[in-house]
Amino acid sequence: MITLKKKLQEAEAKKGNNSLGPQSIDRRATIRDKLLTKEIAEIGDHLNSNCQVDFENPDKIYEFTVIIKPDEGWWKGGVFRFSVFVSEDYNIQPPLVKCITRLWHPNISLDGNVCLSILRDHSLDGSGWAPTRSIKDVIWGLYSLFIDLVDFDDPLNIEAADEYKRNPKQFKQSVDTYLYRYAKQ
Amino acid sequence: MSKIDDTRKGDTSNEQLFTLKKWNAVAVWSWDVECDTCAICRVQVMDACLRCQADNKQDGCVVVWGECNHSFHNCCMSLWVEQNNRCPLCQKEWVIQGTGK
Ligand SMILES: [Zn+2]
Ligand SMILES: [Zn+2]
Ligand SMILES: [Zn+2]
Repeated sequence: MITLKKKLQEAEAKKGNNSLGPQSIDRRATIRDKLLTKEIAEIGDHLNSNCQVDFENPDKIYEFTVIIKPDEGWWKGGVFRFSVFVSEDYNIQPPLVKCITRLWHPNISLDGNVCLSILRDHSLDGSGWAPTRSIKDVIWGLYSLFIDLVDFDDPLNIEAADEYKRNPKQFKQSVDTYLYRYAKQ
Repeated sequence: MSKIDDTRKGDTSNEQLFTLKKWNAVAVWSWDVECDTCAICRVQVMDACLRCQADNKQDGCVVVWGECNHSFHNCCMSLWVEQNNRCPLCQKEWVIQGTGK
């Protein structure tokens, strides 16, 4: 997003001011913010019109919205928003992600829970979160949920997956119904 | 459950980043250790980790390397193994081969 760099600069400037004050800032939060500042600077240039990041509050770079606009696949034409919260235990713990746009998707429940392996804090096969991953991977993962990571065989919204298996046309209709009601540009 | 396959990445910028990571992993045992970065806090392993820098405890921060030949700050790795006793770079079970400065 165009405004990302500016926001980051603002956030950096604010941090500079803070460090002059009393050293009351939580240490873990400082570590988290340092990691995030680096990661966000890295993703800034790679965002495109399909994936955007919105930092509502430059003081809180650990809370932001990821906006996905798929240009192919079942959800093409929709605008899907995810709220991301990065806890003080980042990057040992993964970010917490909620989908705030209602949609019909086998791997996203109607109340916004997202089933994406890298967002899991524990996995035995290495597909879960690891500190070697970054916010860029999370955004990429969320985008891929609409394209090639759609998984009908291990669903969170079982009804949606069943409908697809029974009748793909009907599934597409349900997707569109939600899309026009909640996810139009 | 949707899983990410790290080998499948779209644009070239991603590819570059991934190549770089691989190169880092290989570089662990070259003599050019100064270039090696801790994959957890992203600070060079020869420097103190991000946490120790914040606490001004640079002296006690040591490097740990596993049987898989990957190295990290001991501080960073001990936080991670509490959660998952695997090397975050190669997913092998984490067995310490040594620590040092
Ligand atoms: Zn480290
Ligand atoms: Zn340390
Ligand atoms: Zn390893």
